[in-house]
Amino acid sequence: MPSPRWRKLLRDASLHKARTLLVILAVTVGMIAAGVLLDAWALVRTATLHIDTIDETLLAKVRGLPQVAAVRARRTLFGTVRASGGTIPAEIFSISDWNASDIGRLRSEQGVWPPRDGEIVVEHSSVEFSGIAPGQTVDVRGVDRAESLPVTGVARDVGLPPGWMEHLVYAFATPATLSRLGAPPGFGELQFVVRDESLDREAIRRIAYQVRALAEQEGHQVTAMDVPVPGQHPHAAQMDSLMMTQGAFALLTLLVCALLVVNLVTAMLAAQAREIAVMKTLGASARQIGAMYLVFALLLGAAASLPALPAAVAIARPYAALKADMLNFPLDGTSIPWWAFALQLAVGCCLPVAAAAIPVAAACRASVVLALSNPGIATQGGYLRRRLTLPGVGRPLQLSIGNAFRKRQRLLLTLLALAAGGAVYIGADNLRTGVRASVDRIFSAQHYDAVLRMNEARPASGLEGIAGGVEGVSAAEALPSGRASVRHADGLSGNRFALVGVAPQSRLMTPLIDEGRWLAAGDRDAIVVTRSLLKDEPSLHPDAEVALDVDGRATRWHVVGVTDAGAQSIAYVPASALAGSGGDAAAAAVVVAMAARDAAGQLDTVLRLRAALERAGMSVASSQLMGEVRRVYEDHLLMVVQFLGAMAWVMIAVGAIGLASTMSVAVLERTREVGVMRAIGADHRAIKTIIQVEGLVIACLAWLLSLPLSLPVSGLLGDAFGKVMFTVPVPAIPGTRSMLIWLLMLVVVSIIACAWPARRATRVPAAQALGYE
Amino acid sequence: MNLLAEPAIPSPPLIALRKVGKAYPTPSGEFHALADIDLEIRRGEFVAIVGASGSGKSTLLHLLGGIDRASGGEILVDGRSLHGMSERALSAWRGRSVGIVFQFFQLLPTLTAAENVMLPMDFADSGPAQGRRTRALELLRRCGVAEQADKLPATLSGGQQQRVAVARALANAPAIVLADEPTGNLDSRTAEVLLDILSTLVTEGRTVVMVTHEHGALRHATRTVALEDGRIASGAAVHA
Repeated sequence: MPSPRWRKLLRDASLHKARTLLVILAVTVGMIAAGVLLDAWALVRTATLHIDTIDETLLAKVRGLPQVAAVRARRTLFGTVRASGGTIPAEIFSISDWNASDIGRLRSEQGVWPPRDGEIVVEHSSVEFSGIAPGQTVDVRGVDRAESLPVTGVARDVGLPPGWMEHLVYAFATPATLSRLGAPPGFGELQFVVRDESLDREAIRRIAYQVRALAEQEGHQVTAMDVPVPGQHPHAAQMDSLMMTQGAFALLTLLVCALLVVNLVTAMLAAQAREIAVMKTLGASARQIGAMYLVFALLLGAAASLPALPAAVAIARPYAALKADMLNFPLDGTSIPWWAFALQLAVGCCLPVAAAAIPVAAACRASVVLALSNPGIATQGGYLRRRLTLPGVGRPLQLSIGNAFRKRQRLLLTLLALAAGGAVYIGADNLRTGVRASVDRIFSAQHYDAVLRMNEARPASGLEGIAGGVEGVSAAEALPSGRASVRHADGLSGNRFALVGVAPQSRLMTPLIDEGRWLAAGDRDAIVVTRSLLKDEPSLHPDAEVALDVDGRATRWHVVGVTDAGAQSIAYVPASALAGSGGDAAAAAVVVAMAARDAAGQLDTVLRLRAALERAGMSVASSQLMGEVRRVYEDHLLMVVQFLGAMAWVMIAVGAIGLASTMSVAVLERTREVGVMRAIGADHRAIKTIIQVEGLVIACLAWLLSLPLSLPVSGLLGDAFGKVMFTVPVPAIPGTRSMLIWLLMLVVVSIIACAWPARRATRVPAAQALGYE
Repeated sequence: MNLLAEPAIPSPPLIALRKVGKAYPTPSGEFHALADIDLEIRRGEFVAIVGASGSGKSTLLHLLGGIDRASGGEILVDGRSLHGMSERALSAWRGRSVGIVFQFFQLLPTLTAAENVMLPMDFADSGPAQGRRTRALELLRRCGVAEQADKLPATLSGGQQQRVAVARALANAPAIVLADEPTGNLDSRTAEVLLDILSTLVTEGRTVVMVTHEHGALRHATRTVALEDGRIASGAAVHA
């Protein structure tokens, strides 16, 4: 049996069950949001040399280098797969050791592993968008041959960017299977892991050069070299960035919950000021009284945490899986570590205690004499209420407006809780606008309707001539391309990127220039880089003179401009600069503008184009309509926006609960006032209206406050998106549409939140209400 | 007069106030609720403090109970200066040495009568926890409200509530009972019963200090101290 003081506390809490439950609910919602992120975070947690042919001798020699911990050989075949009624570009890999655990993160998820001769295993991130699944037989076209191959399993390779994002089918097959598709025998890439995990990218690059020298001593030709950021998953930074931003909003949600706890405890202490004073006269020390209310806050936290913990786990698992799928991450497991639970429980219990500490300390310090002589329900905001005399506004309405300002601290905390949710909502909408504007900007540079990729590079003029002559094609331009890497001053090469040849006077490609200029007629060594490439290779700044290895040739270029192409790390050069000695560049892609504006008409034109090119002996590897490319691209970007904006809904829910709690406290405190109004003739409708209008006044004030708050939130969301994907121009000023939608949402939230307090006000008999202290 | 008898040595006062004053800041300057109060109260006295409204009666009682601090002067209770005590020490002292009865009873509404009486024992951690209810029931019985022990205050009459409040004031067997207009909210018959209870306490050796404005209550007091504009008008001296 608890002692009288604890009995008092429990009975006081049960006396205002609804108010207490609302705050518990708010903290539970906040805890679930924070817990989901924490649990999801807890769940989510190689240099390559391209060589002509790798044999066992070379592998053994590289393995023998003291700096090398593990090595394997790989062959990549670029081809196409016919699936979902279309042809999709494919990259099919063959690896010397399928089960090596010391290099790469390749693991089987379903079916056969490793792949058998004559079969393929598809990579996880390509399954959903391509519709390819184990049990099917798919037509795979390689270098110059096609085969129907059964799909016998699914595997996950963490080192690959998501197939759905790249619009590529990744698959695994034996060297024999790749040979049947026209690939050279054996392996063409050497991948190794260095022994010293503390080395940076440049140090590893130096070791890669030693390996290269060894391969060349053995008589092999090394054509390219890629060194990723060491010790980091290709998408770790993106995931961390996303999680950090969401974590920041989860903290903000918890802060909003803390404000609600402050409101609840302050209201409770204000109502009990005289009781606290009486307890002091009975010999209770400030410490004993403080402990009572802090334990109450602790119980609130525990009551909120208990349902929040399993709910967070239940949501975190699919949420983490969704994120992992999005960035082709594997989940290390589904068991959430104990520390995540302990942290949630600690935060859940301590947050209300910390929030309640200030009002409790103030209540403990309050003068006993004043509290004993005080009626218990203090009023504030009298000055403001006296000033709020609105001409032409009825007395009940003026009362509602004035009531909103009676408890200024409570009003401020409620406004902050609601406005924080609104600021994130508006910020997310601004980000969405920014992403759409960015996509518009990127695609506005591309005045073509479809792109066709060839299995083999063909003379650009021939390609353009055939494509341009097809019915429905209004313009066609072939795009010669090459693979380039920056040759740094220390003699080392950077990672490879695509070099795209464009005619300076091109009508189909007119990229928007951020800095410098676009290619001009007469340019020979001019190069325009994308912002994303500049981020990877800062030496490619405007006006820089750079040395590039282009398909094994040493070349020099002058950077004339920077363009925004989203996440693409590529560079544009004059098509003529990629031309061989014959004067005509070889192109493996052709872009076409079409007369038809509808998807069906454009698809017909593409079919005619493919047929015409095939007739001319030019094998088409894949074709894509830009409308479809844009839709997929935009969808993927907006998915990140949705992830970032999801916290707004949690915060709005918490804010709504806060408003309901505030109005319930206000109605309780004004029970006697309501009794007086009813005694002098106010009917139920009038009383309900007064309370609802008070809620709407608070909602409107929260709306006004959320507008300036949305400015820094928009900036924060824009920064986070920039780190996860690429920089987008997030507008600082909220859009009219999002402002109006948010206002409408607030009105609805206010009406719902005030419905119960308004109903309660009319349910207390007038005589009882008049006697309320 | 027996001249051979040893002269009576007066016992030291239980409560002694020396030049005690209490001032409150107001927009128009300091308001002196009490000024230059010199007062001694001996053990076993029943002192009634009277005066017009605003004369400083309740302020004086608050100073004696240590729930307010004097602006000047010194208050000694059983030889200890309240001035030098920390808030924590003051709370502990109040819990064990002082029982307070209010005009409006001030029972905690969510606790039963017995629980209200047990609450001061709980705060002072006096006696074994298992024995507190027994003691509370005994005190309620003495005050004539034992049958109301498990009822909430809202279901009791004013007289019953005030008797529960007296039982609560006696919870930790304090040496001093302070009563602020204890009969102000009661009918005359109930008030008389309550004053009888307070008188009984005095016969048991406790000291009772009661603020009142009711003349009928004065006959229970052994001394009356009259306050006028924050100063003692009469009764400061102990009756011989």
